[in-house]
Amino acid sequence: MNRKRALVSDTFKVKKRKTGSEKFGVVDDHGDGQGDIKSTIMDLMTLFPRKLFNDAVPQIVLKHQLYSIHDKTMVDKEVNKLRESGSLLMFQLGFDAEAFGLVFASDYKAKVLAGEEGKATRATVEKFLEKVVSKCTDLSFSKDKMLREFLFTDSEITQLVKSGVLTVRDAGSWWLSIPNTGKFIKYFIQGRKAVLGMVKKSKYGEVLKDDLEQRRTTSHVKFHIKYHINDIVGAELVESVPTTSGTLLRYVDS
Amino acid sequence: MLGFLTARRAGLDDPLRLRRAESTRRVLNLKLNPDRDVDRIHGNGINSIDIETIEGRYMLSGGADGVIVIYDLENYSGKPQYTCKAVCTVGRSNRHVHKFSVETVLWYPYDTGMFVSSSFDKTMKVWDTETLKPAEVFEFESNIYNHHLSPIARKHSLIAVGTKNPKIQLCDLKSGSKIHVLQGHKAEVLSVRWSPRYEHILATASADSKVKVWDVRRASGSLFSLDQDNGDKSKSSSEAVNTAHNGRVNGLSFTSDGLFLLTTGTDDRMRLWNSATGENTLVNYGKVCNESRKGLQFTVSQGCSPEFVFVPCGSSVAVYVLHTGELVTMLRGHYNNVDCCKFHPDHQELYSGGKDGNILAWVPVLRASDMEEESDQKNKVHTSLPRLDKRKTKRG
Repeated sequence: MNRKRALVSDTFKVKKRKTGSEKFGVVDDHGDGQGDIKSTIMDLMTLFPRKLFNDAVPQIVLKHQLYSIHDKTMVDKEVNKLRESGSLLMFQLGFDAEAFGLVFASDYKAKVLAGEEGKATRATVEKFLEKVVSKCTDLSFSKDKMLREFLFTDSEITQLVKSGVLTVRDAGSWWLSIPNTGKFIKYFIQGRKAVLGMVKKSKYGEVLKDDLEQRRTTSHVKFHIKYHINDIVGAELVESVPTTSGTLLRYVDS
Repeated sequence: MLGFLTARRAGLDDPLRLRRAESTRRVLNLKLNPDRDVDRIHGNGINSIDIETIEGRYMLSGGADGVIVIYDLENYSGKPQYTCKAVCTVGRSNRHVHKFSVETVLWYPYDTGMFVSSSFDKTMKVWDTETLKPAEVFEFESNIYNHHLSPIARKHSLIAVGTKNPKIQLCDLKSGSKIHVLQGHKAEVLSVRWSPRYEHILATASADSKVKVWDVRRASGSLFSLDQDNGDKSKSSSEAVNTAHNGRVNGLSFTSDGLFLLTTGTDDRMRLWNSATGENTLVNYGKVCNESRKGLQFTVSQGCSPEFVFVPCGSSVAVYVLHTGELVTMLRGHYNNVDCCKFHPDHQELYSGGKDGNILAWVPVLRASDMEEESDQKNKVHTSLPRLDKRKTKRG
């Protein structure tokens, strides 16, 4: 008797008894429209602790956190669509070449302007937000682009870097960035390492996802543990195995 | 299944639809079958496998010990238990055997009278299958990683060779000389592939992270170089512009219609490109583990819908859906790293070879007759060969 469930392609699914496509962690709501990705982003954003940073930082979700919930190619396409429409902004976070942070445009603008209250650089930053962020969906800007297309002067660029909206990438080009995120990235990396360590140290290097969510976290983990779990699953630092007792997270040695 | 058959008979469905549906079902059921085995001749790892396209009967394999073996894949014994026997071997005792490891072996696309092998001993040999003697030997100055012959060429008989030298050599089979050099890469060329759609289009992958597409009739240079960001300069760091991968590109494969090109790199990513425009289709396959310093031979299924990609990933073979990037399954069975795999399009079988010296045959599992309680009487009368159970009227 063949105990293993066979994989069945869509064309043969009459009774939908054996839907093989569910086997590898892909969720069964395949027909997701744009609305669902957006609502997932908003759900994930609620996990982000605002109080920790005294409300100075907008809620950030990482793109690979979405991979743990939806189909990867679809996530990429939907995120690109949202970026084109201007409602979502993407940033290169710097600690990993593939880690992109997503922030809602309205959130970002509100927080940046709030941070600039009473500072001399406020006018330049406002101008930057209006002209550049609303129109261009790039992650980085080079010097001639800034000077020619957007007509910013050198001193204005310096002000933008000072205010934290631009970060130096290399001579003559800058990444778009979120001000005051230094602490966020530090806590994020610390938390990721701690949660990954928790999975690694478990017996056999694996732990049930529900079990991990219930555990008490050390002081190193400042964010909600679900935020970190989505991150490590999406970045494929742990393998997510469906079992009869729920999802199992297994440490991937690489 | 019966629904498809009836629809085809009645003319409601295109004949192709039944074939595609059944091929896909078979590919999804690939498993190691205890009845099917391949003779173990290689003592060391197997670097390359090729199955000839004319009859789909003979398979070539090249190993790290310089040995080349030809196997007969057909089962004429009448029994389900079958070992694919080695028909002939170019073993260590042969006078003309390669001195070092054979990296790539390829059948001549039009008949099995000839095959070409290239090796780390800096030679590429064109062998006569009858006598197992090289009819032609091409010498090079550095290790040869990969070579490829165009499967559809009528106007030329060129072999593209990728070596440690950044220049790609084109050798002519008819005249026996190296007639053309393609310049453009900056580091060793790990993989070369001719397009199965246009006989003059060649794609090459190199350790300098670039993949270039050439038209060999054009003297001036490559047609275009594949760019993973599609020209979006903002995403990558400013040094890594116009690269296909963030590391060495070590695997190349065209889909069987030649419209798409797949590349794998040591940055653990696999990318699907539109072969006409060079655009990255941005299908996300996730992490495709790749630690190979040399080329990796992976393969795409043919005649299924959706198409599948079989990529060696560590010691197992990962199966992905081509256009959506979903991981379907991991075929586990090898004891050590898998280096090469080849899909047999007529039987929907996969052969994979690896460092453990084994070639494993992944065979589609036939439909089990699970209505055994009722049909027990009838079953005893029939032979022991597995067959499709006709009583499965419920299936589509």
